[in-house]
Amino acid sequence: MTQSPPRPRPRDDGEATTPPPFAVTPEVDGDTAVDREPAPGRLHPLRRDGDLLLTGRAEFLDDIALPGLLHAAVLRSPHAHARVLRVDATAARQARGVRAVLAPEDADAQAAPLPAFFEPSIVGGKTSTFRILAGTKVTYVGEAVAAVAAETLADAEAALELIEVEYEVLPAVVDAEDALAPGAPLVFGEWGDNLLAVFPFAEGDAAAAVAAAPHRLSGELHTQRHHTAPMETRGYIASWDRAGRLTFWGSTQNPHPLRTNLSTVLGLPEDRIRVIATRLGGGFGHKFNGYAEEPLVCLLARAAGGPVKWVETRADALLVGAREFSHRFTVGYDDTGRILGIQDRVVGNIGALGSWGGWSMTFPAGMTFPGPYKVADYDIQSHAVVTNKAPWNGARGYGKETACLALERMVDLIAAERGLDPADVRRVNFIPEDEFPFWTAAKHLDSGNYAGALDKVLALSDYRGLRARQERARAGGRLFGIGLAFELTPEGGDFAGSFVRGYDTSTVRVYPSGAVTVLTGVTSPGTGNETSIAHLVASELGIPSEQVSVVQGDTDTCPYGFGNFTSRSLATGGAAAVLAAREIRDRMSGAAAALLDCAADDLRFADGNVTCVTVPTSSLSFAEVAETVYRRGLAAPGLDQPLLEVTRVDLPHNFHHVPDEQGRFSAYPSYPYSAHVAVVEVDAETGVVDLFEFHAVDDCGNVVSPRFVEGQLYGAISMGIGGALWEHQPYTTDGQPVATQFKHYLTPRAGDLPAIRLDSQHTPSPFTLLGTKGAGESGVGGGLAACVNAVNDALAPLGATAHHLPLNPPNVLAAIDAATNPGGAR
Amino acid sequence: MIRTPLRYHRPRTPDEASALLVEHRGDVAVLGGGTQLLPQMNRDQVHVGHLVDLRGLGLRRIEVTDDQVVVEALVTYADVLLSRDLSRAAPHLRRVAHGVTGGRQIRNTGTLAGSACFAMPGSDMPAALVGIDAILRLHGPDGAREVRAADFYVDAFTTVLRPGEFVLAITIPRTAARTGYCKVKHSSGSWPIATATARRLDGSATVTLGSVHATPLHVDVSDLASNGPVDRAALADRVRSALPAPWTDVLAPGDYRARIAGVVAARAFSELEGVPA
Repeated sequence: MTQSPPRPRPRDDGEATTPPPFAVTPEVDGDTAVDREPAPGRLHPLRRDGDLLLTGRAEFLDDIALPGLLHAAVLRSPHAHARVLRVDATAARQARGVRAVLAPEDADAQAAPLPAFFEPSIVGGKTSTFRILAGTKVTYVGEAVAAVAAETLADAEAALELIEVEYEVLPAVVDAEDALAPGAPLVFGEWGDNLLAVFPFAEGDAAAAVAAAPHRLSGELHTQRHHTAPMETRGYIASWDRAGRLTFWGSTQNPHPLRTNLSTVLGLPEDRIRVIATRLGGGFGHKFNGYAEEPLVCLLARAAGGPVKWVETRADALLVGAREFSHRFTVGYDDTGRILGIQDRVVGNIGALGSWGGWSMTFPAGMTFPGPYKVADYDIQSHAVVTNKAPWNGARGYGKETACLALERMVDLIAAERGLDPADVRRVNFIPEDEFPFWTAAKHLDSGNYAGALDKVLALSDYRGLRARQERARAGGRLFGIGLAFELTPEGGDFAGSFVRGYDTSTVRVYPSGAVTVLTGVTSPGTGNETSIAHLVASELGIPSEQVSVVQGDTDTCPYGFGNFTSRSLATGGAAAVLAAREIRDRMSGAAAALLDCAADDLRFADGNVTCVTVPTSSLSFAEVAETVYRRGLAAPGLDQPLLEVTRVDLPHNFHHVPDEQGRFSAYPSYPYSAHVAVVEVDAETGVVDLFEFHAVDDCGNVVSPRFVEGQLYGAISMGIGGALWEHQPYTTDGQPVATQFKHYLTPRAGDLPAIRLDSQHTPSPFTLLGTKGAGESGVGGGLAACVNAVNDALAPLGATAHHLPLNPPNVLAAIDAATNPGGAR
Repeated sequence: MIRTPLRYHRPRTPDEASALLVEHRGDVAVLGGGTQLLPQMNRDQVHVGHLVDLRGLGLRRIEVTDDQVVVEALVTYADVLLSRDLSRAAPHLRRVAHGVTGGRQIRNTGTLAGSACFAMPGSDMPAALVGIDAILRLHGPDGAREVRAADFYVDAFTTVLRPGEFVLAITIPRTAARTGYCKVKHSSGSWPIATATARRLDGSATVTLGSVHATPLHVDVSDLASNGPVDRAALADRVRSALPAPWTDVLAPGDYRARIAGVVAARAFSELEGVPA
């Protein structure tokens, strides 16, 4: 979408303030408690459109009101697994207000199968063919079977009831281990089993190392199905003009790939489709493209002869799954807690495969091992298992959070078994600071000072003081728990062969008035990266941020890009914009050198002016240089480059797609990390967990906008806490999803969260233009693991372990009962 | 979206309201604050052709006299929280209203009487009203009648309201009784999982449990409190035996509620009696 134009900020002194080339955060920026005067040039850029958002005037998809807009409703399968024998929509076509009805055969006649967001066969997985509407078989409750467009949403929903669908119900399988058992119902009959893929990540000889270790322990961990619950659900609008050109507005993270998919599915040349990604009220992977409703609204709009809007209901949003993992692990270690070998069988219950991309989270779930630790021998087998639950889509954390949870539980279990402090066990296992870049089986780690971040969070939380408080509380019989977690968060992934790529493209354009526009292929899920990109470009050109507008998400305007995922925006589109701005500056330097009779190398771009440093009175405003280039370019001596528009591509320069002689490769280039401390008290009689302190230290390299990074951490940690303690989409044994509203699916509210205290450390990446690393996902795994560790630490005096998430009161009390009353009734 | 044609009525008198409810019997709902009814209609879980809005009747007063507190049908949680008279005369009601799930929007709109009539097990108001001997003043085609809250609940989501009847007001006797209260829930967005209102008055001791059973569970434990505080072990046994079929919903299974019901009851008494559980 087009961001609102920049608005000049009133200034007292009438002079523009110029930010530095980029604001590498001084350490003091991490301390939110300090009320500091921003140093000159260290201003955090003001959030663009913050006023619109705060006053409720920002436009989201559901605010778009086209003349004659029709409304779509989708008929969904009530069965987890069934053959579709007959779909009769005759009566619905006659219903009040109905303008179009689509049955599976209608959609099949007009559209090709849906392209996969991530095609599993690229990585050797099984696959299937997915249609917009399921006409032969449904594999989960909620799969789309028919659709209606009508003059009102009420009419569209009412007409759904008139569509007759005859099903032959088939046995369903909802548990991953059940799905792997011989004789299980097959989600896809042609596969012969329910195993989509197994991803192995191994180095050395884990079995031998574990067997030879002085000590070993084994365990199981189970994470419940939970997802990201964006405040704004998905929505799409399609409108065809009289010439047959399609305009599509989508609450989506990937406008260009979405356009490519629409072209494929609808058989329409790509240049006849315009996709506009609207402002997002949260993305988190939930709004990756690849959903059936995307082409569906286009078909409905064409059939109805008018624009059609579809907005996902909360119940529909809660269908989209993620994060249901189990771990069965064995770890070997020595007396000091040093890990000698890890074996982990990871199983992801990915639901039914669809065209959505979330199944691929089973890849980083294994790849992230062994996290921040130096372990010579490990063997991680990550399984993607299909069941008759709805498919997964992407979910912030992207499987890395489950690796963090498993590793951090292992470390704490080792510490408990050895009688060591969990912080010390982490310390002896960290990859040393001087060994970066560091190779593991599938990661080339860029840089890190892990011990530094741990020390910092221990200081921030007064860890020694906490342990003393714990001792006193335990003496009083209270269940007081402290949980540490150290999270490594691979970011910026590149999956060649898909449209999930590691590079992106930006154009910088300077107008005669000196106004600057950045057009970029990266989009914002609502986090504010447009503000940061404008700030970066303004810094390069020595002009105020307000003079730079950023356009994202409009495929007619922006260069082809891959949108928003894996915390990639600044290291790809942002870096590309900086490179483009530098080239623009070079061109303008050439012109200014001629105009000011000054060597180009002696020109300084600052405060909105281009000044000759050797003759400070010799100066032109940035706008004067731009206007002169337009008016006199190719006509005056030295003004021989009149094109003030540059497009560049950039990426983090740390991809290793071709395996080396040891078979090692790295699809992720950037490795931020964070250290966390959670403090809880558990009510032994009710199982209620009170989380009352949370501290975290984050290192995502250089930081452009400290407040935005903090915002990401608050959100990610809260998401991790929600997954640890409450969020759950339960299914019945016959495959019915139970949570259909926020009264069933409990996300944390402000009152459930402690004041999260943050500090930061900055270890630049040597592989990105600006030294940045990704900053959008750190905290999900840390929040999750720190809470789970804290609850288990609290339960330690009872001898209880709580390894079945969420750790809500019933599950915690069950864990207590299992330890204190084994074999007892419950 | 509300899929069916809908007729909105705003009667001027209680008799008119009852007449409408009788006329459209089986196809009508009473609109109070609407915080439950309207989302359910939007989700197509409730289908009625007629809504009878009580706003035309006023019914927004809180009246405190020497012997009772009257809370009219359209009094919201926010009204209760803002009323100093009510805070003094019926502090328990204020306390329960303060803990209602849903935040400011719900408290500004939701009504105590609406919650009482919805009779949802996982809600605060039914058991709280039973626990303080509240009386529901009903209006029906045959005029007014009064029903004790303890007699009002038949089953989950079912009350003794007859066709044409609706709640005009809730009255709470002003006794000298103090109450103790305990509530367990998962998070601030969670429905209550178990609530207990403990009460001692003139030698009697009672506890009313909410959310653990289809209807509020009123348990007389006077015999366990003959010499001072209620005997905790006996209380847990009594509560357990009074709860053969605990309530289950998406948030917690019945066995968990049964497991903590005695704890919640004991904590309510602990608060009341100032004795640790």
